[in-house]
Amino acid sequence: MIGASPGRLAAVAILALAGLIVPTALVGTWQSRAASRLVEAEAAAEASPEERPAVAAAADEEYCTPALRQILRRVLTSCGLIGGSGRGCQPVEARSVATMDGDDFNALFLPMRERGGILQFDRAESDLDASDVALVDRVFADRGGASYFFVVARASPDGSEARNRELSRDRAEGVMRHLESTFHDPALHDQVGLLWLGEEYAQLDPSFCDWQRSGEAGACAPEDLNRSAFVAWIDCRL
Amino acid sequence: MTLRVLCGLVAASSLAGFLFAEVSSSDFASHLDRQTHGIHCSLLPGAGELDTRGTSGCHVTLMSPYSSVLRDAVWGGVPIALPAMGVFAFLVVAALAILVLGRERDRRALLGLTLAAAIPFVTSIAMGWISLHELDAACKLCIGIYLASAAAFVLAGSALFVARRGEPEALSAASASEAEATLPDAPIDAAGQTADAPRLATASEMDRRIAARRLERRGALAAPEPLGWGVVGLGALIGIAFVALPVLAYAAGAPDFSGYVGACGTLAHPEGGDEVLVAIGPQTREVEMIEVLDPLCPSCRGFEARFSAHRAAEEVSRSALLFPLDAECNWMVSESVHPGACLLSRAVLCAEEDAEEVLAWAFAQQSELERREDEEAEDAARRVERAVRERFPALGECIASPEARNRLNRALRFAVDNELPVLTPQVYVDGTRLCDEDTDLGLDYVLSRLLDRSEGER
Repeated sequence: MIGASPGRLAAVAILALAGLIVPTALVGTWQSRAASRLVEAEAAAEASPEERPAVAAAADEEYCTPALRQILRRVLTSCGLIGGSGRGCQPVEARSVATMDGDDFNALFLPMRERGGILQFDRAESDLDASDVALVDRVFADRGGASYFFVVARASPDGSEARNRELSRDRAEGVMRHLESTFHDPALHDQVGLLWLGEEYAQLDPSFCDWQRSGEAGACAPEDLNRSAFVAWIDCRL
Repeated sequence: MTLRVLCGLVAASSLAGFLFAEVSSSDFASHLDRQTHGIHCSLLPGAGELDTRGTSGCHVTLMSPYSSVLRDAVWGGVPIALPAMGVFAFLVVAALAILVLGRERDRRALLGLTLAAAIPFVTSIAMGWISLHELDAACKLCIGIYLASAAAFVLAGSALFVARRGEPEALSAASASEAEATLPDAPIDAAGQTADAPRLATASEMDRRIAARRLERRGALAAPEPLGWGVVGLGALIGIAFVALPVLAYAAGAPDFSGYVGACGTLAHPEGGDEVLVAIGPQTREVEMIEVLDPLCPSCRGFEARFSAHRAAEEVSRSALLFPLDAECNWMVSESVHPGACLLSRAVLCAEEDAEEVLAWAFAQQSELERREDEEAEDAARRVERAVRERFPALGECIASPEARNRLNRALRFAVDNELPVLTPQVYVDGTRLCDEDTDLGLDYVLSRLLDRSEGER
């Protein structure tokens, strides 16, 4: 039927057998090698969990020292951002939880210079003008990985203590109302901490003139600085 | 060129095809360890630097849905280079067998060889068309297979053609031999009688003698008895075995990765996603799929291409969580992997109902928008911004707005709330995460199981 010698037929049979075996053997080799590599890789991953991809987390900057964290926790708890239902702290409360004097309290915010701003209000006013809105929007939009937004409103010593405290509160809540109407973020109440400080609390000193502020650049007398709301994101995890 | 040489060349070109297919199959199978690998991409099989960045046409082709079959049943599927390897192995053996058995003049054997060579040739034409028109990729390894297929087919066809042409010659040679045998030793006179006196041969007598001797010298003998159809049929069965055996071995020996389905976590807090997710396509289907992506991430683009070819694309309500790996807005990356991705993400958010169009544009333009070698991140980001503003001028105001920044920030915070890994792409089907290793070759295998599971739970 083929008309070839047995030797040639045997040679062809060997060729065919080799042709059948080689691809199949290659498949087996690839698969067994891959299986070995998989076992090794999984063992290596098990042994060094630090090589796993990082997990998304809020920012935690270097300035978040244990002492700062403790103070923040107390303030935020008291102000209702952590485990509470309230929103906003009166200065007496802030003073009691922070257990520090006014200058130390102000110093708390110094590391946030690049992340914060000072909204300067007109005398006896609590409405945000265009430059206030621009600044608070800019600061708030640049949240990054921060967990909490602080609004610390103040009033200058002009006028009565009660009137100034009320003014201070109106300023803080005015900022909050603006954030609510602008950003429509349902989680806003869990992020924004309001503090309203009256005239009895430590006034901001002129070193804060270097911060980004609303209003005219030259208007940085103590009374200008303290008719204000300090706004900043805090890059600390608690 | 003799028939033996032609058959030898068929064997040689088929061997080249075998080597190309072997390298391609081997590259494919190396991914069975669930890791990423560099792949070969050279016109010399197995030579050249490995493509580890996934930028070559070979990578595009290998990761495409066209690189394998039975993807739902076998993790990654069975690479189509594997049956190609079997066909080429058969062609090598068949061509050599023809030579060893002295069948190079057997038209039936050569017809079988040509038909067998036509299989990879026709497949190559189809795959080449897909590669150029569907994938827009030129895969050198594939081109090697195409060329080897074409060479094997043309050479086998040529051998068949020569053998067919040779048969009438052989017949005329036989006639010439007969004629020469009948030539008279003594000359014939004008009346057709043999004369005693010697004479010169006539011109036609000389021609016949020369032709007969030439053909004898060339060994152009009559074609051998052709192979029986039974032998040809047996050869075809053996050919099928050459293809089936490695394919069956691959499918049977493929690892069972079903244990990984759903083993890579779930969304801890999916609530609130509506505020930050970007809808892609119809949102009326029951199974929800979330893709965590960066518009400038090549793997995300690759996933997009693979996913759009999957049946799941028609079965899920799909949305995207923008997660740009760009330090401009993402505090979770220390330096920008994809500068400009934050701005591009804001453009997607600003586009609202046209978000899909912006995303598709970003993927299509990705190679133009990605950071160039030696380019500063800021320059790359500015280039992206210019391109976005030029293409979508209506979004110009929005992309710089605090609202857009805030919305993107909320998307990033959704990732924080759900403790997502800092990488893209990630895929969640009804809150269950696909393992990263399953987002390319294993996509069909895992996605079909996750979809079945989701549908089963409803």
